[in-house]
Amino acid sequence: MNGSTLALALTRREFLHRAAAVGGSALLLNTMNAWGIGIASRVTAPPALSGSGKGKKVVVLGAGLAGLSAAFELRKLGYEVQVLEARPFAGGRCQSARKGFALQELGGEAQQCRFDDGHYINHGPWRIPLDHQSTLYYTRLFDVPLEVMVNENDHAFVYLEDGGPLSKQRLRGAQIKADMRGHVAELLAKSVQGHQLDAALGADDQMLLLDYLRREGALESGDLAYKGRNGRGYAVNPGAGLMPGAGTPSDPLAFRDLLAAKVGKVYSAVQDFPMHATMFQPVGGMDAIPRAFARRLGGAIRYNAEVQRITQNADKVTLDIRDAASGKLSSVQADYCLCTVPLSVLRMIDSNFSDGFKAAIKAVPYAPVGKIGLQMRRRFWEEDDHIYGGHVLTDIPGINTISLPSSGWQQRKGVLLGYYHYALDAIEVSALSLQERTELALAAGEKIFPGYRSDFESAFSVAWHRVKYSLGGWAEWNDAARQNAYPALLEGEGRVMLAGEHLSYLTGWQAGAIESSWQQIERLHRRASA
Amino acid sequence: MKHVLLLLAALAAGAGAAAQPKPDGKTLFARNCAACHQLDGRGIPGAFPALATSPVVVGAANEAAEVLLKGRGGMPAFSGSLDDTEIAEVLTYARSSWGNRAGAVSGPEVQARRSALGVAPPTRSRFGNKH
Repeated sequence: MNGSTLALALTRREFLHRAAAVGGSALLLNTMNAWGIGIASRVTAPPALSGSGKGKKVVVLGAGLAGLSAAFELRKLGYEVQVLEARPFAGGRCQSARKGFALQELGGEAQQCRFDDGHYINHGPWRIPLDHQSTLYYTRLFDVPLEVMVNENDHAFVYLEDGGPLSKQRLRGAQIKADMRGHVAELLAKSVQGHQLDAALGADDQMLLLDYLRREGALESGDLAYKGRNGRGYAVNPGAGLMPGAGTPSDPLAFRDLLAAKVGKVYSAVQDFPMHATMFQPVGGMDAIPRAFARRLGGAIRYNAEVQRITQNADKVTLDIRDAASGKLSSVQADYCLCTVPLSVLRMIDSNFSDGFKAAIKAVPYAPVGKIGLQMRRRFWEEDDHIYGGHVLTDIPGINTISLPSSGWQQRKGVLLGYYHYALDAIEVSALSLQERTELALAAGEKIFPGYRSDFESAFSVAWHRVKYSLGGWAEWNDAARQNAYPALLEGEGRVMLAGEHLSYLTGWQAGAIESSWQQIERLHRRASA
Repeated sequence: MKHVLLLLAALAAGAGAAAQPKPDGKTLFARNCAACHQLDGRGIPGAFPALATSPVVVGAANEAAEVLLKGRGGMPAFSGSLDDTEIAEVLTYARSSWGNRAGAVSGPEVQARRSALGVAPPTRSRFGNKH
């Protein structure tokens, strides 16, 4: 009996339970992946397409990761491809700000990055998880050098301004992790020993649980007490001779203090998918990826080409273009159009799409997102606090996280991420002037790192919802729009198909853009070959 | 600088228990809407719709409330960050400013729309690790 017949007789959930019972988690995962409900991004290479696109022209709108990967793959099939990009450079939201990079938000002041040579901030995408084999496919293919991006650092601070008895202390992640585990393990172990879990666990399982808790929580073997452990750090580190010699152990934070501090509001020992302790970043800036594409696509990308109108009939698609540099108007025709423009921008572009399709384009909200890069004259986080990469987690309003750079170790200067926020924080901070944003970031950082303000040299900030041609960090789908608008947008209309992170469940990730394009060009090729 | 201090104070009030006077519609608009729609409600052509002379703003109150509760056309949902009273305040402000002349919206009206749409109450969550 094959899976689908069985699944008809059972509910999907029952079937998965049985699959797990019979074949263990491997069969369960394979089954889920086969049904498209797996947890990994399953696509690791572009679709292997046969046939030819010779003699057919495709216009790709947007030279972000979606447009670039589509153009690259379509050209391999023989299509004549022209990419229209409104900006004077490729990458879309994948940008790295370094000396001279200019960004003026809509309604905002002119801003030019003044970081020293060799320093940059990835104010767009900044980390690649191991799960995103599609992104890693191109970095490998194009020889884009990668380095580890430290995404989790137990030695970085957790700083709670509103943390009850632990307020305004520079806690280390490792302390919270060790002590919360230790205290909870102690409580649970004592509950087992006190027969409070007899109803839930048999005698054998109780022994196994106690054994696990002793190790996991570093409990004393006799009284099952948690009295700290060296993994949380020493008060005085061990060293040579008699001083410091064996060093001085540290005392754990009190259980009740940790509870009252509500550390869980900013801290979790396990991150959500696809966050891993180590991720990847291209050496020298994330824009190395679009640059690698752009070099290969050469003259196929037309820059400063702002699309003003999309019209189609039974035979052709016509794109009316305004040259953003010269103001000159022109138009381009093609057999097909793959539009990777964010929906927040596409909704403002004139077209002869049907009312239904226009409504679907308008149905999708976008995420407000903000970041600020701060160049510091001294890497005080490394020199004074021995924090090498990772994130400082804080409840200081408007900040969310301060991230320390994963490159340039032990150099003199560095650019750190002074805030990275979403939703209301991003909206409120985007209403501030550039100087006020910097002030907000410095005032917060100064509370955690003495000298933050005096070591500050220059800032570069972005509020993505105010960036022309982007108008948002990423598509933020709600259930109703996923149900109603998503299928229509995936289908496209006539000779126009859409692609981008917005047409994936990997929204906000470069992998979402690439994998959406891989899917859509397969459909476009099928349509063109019919 | 004064602006940033006010904001810090407002943000702190949101995070802590300190009782602060509730911000009025105009303040809420400046903080939550003006970055895109601009303080004068004129928006930015090609990107952010004008709220002055907008038929949506001065139309049926529950439809205007729905736009804020669910987000639309690139605009984020505010249902998680503003409560029903605040949404009513800011809508009332927009409906009566820059030449707009539509009636006030009440908290209970927004609340009714929120529950009809099945939209969860505001969490005011500010922390996260995404992308």
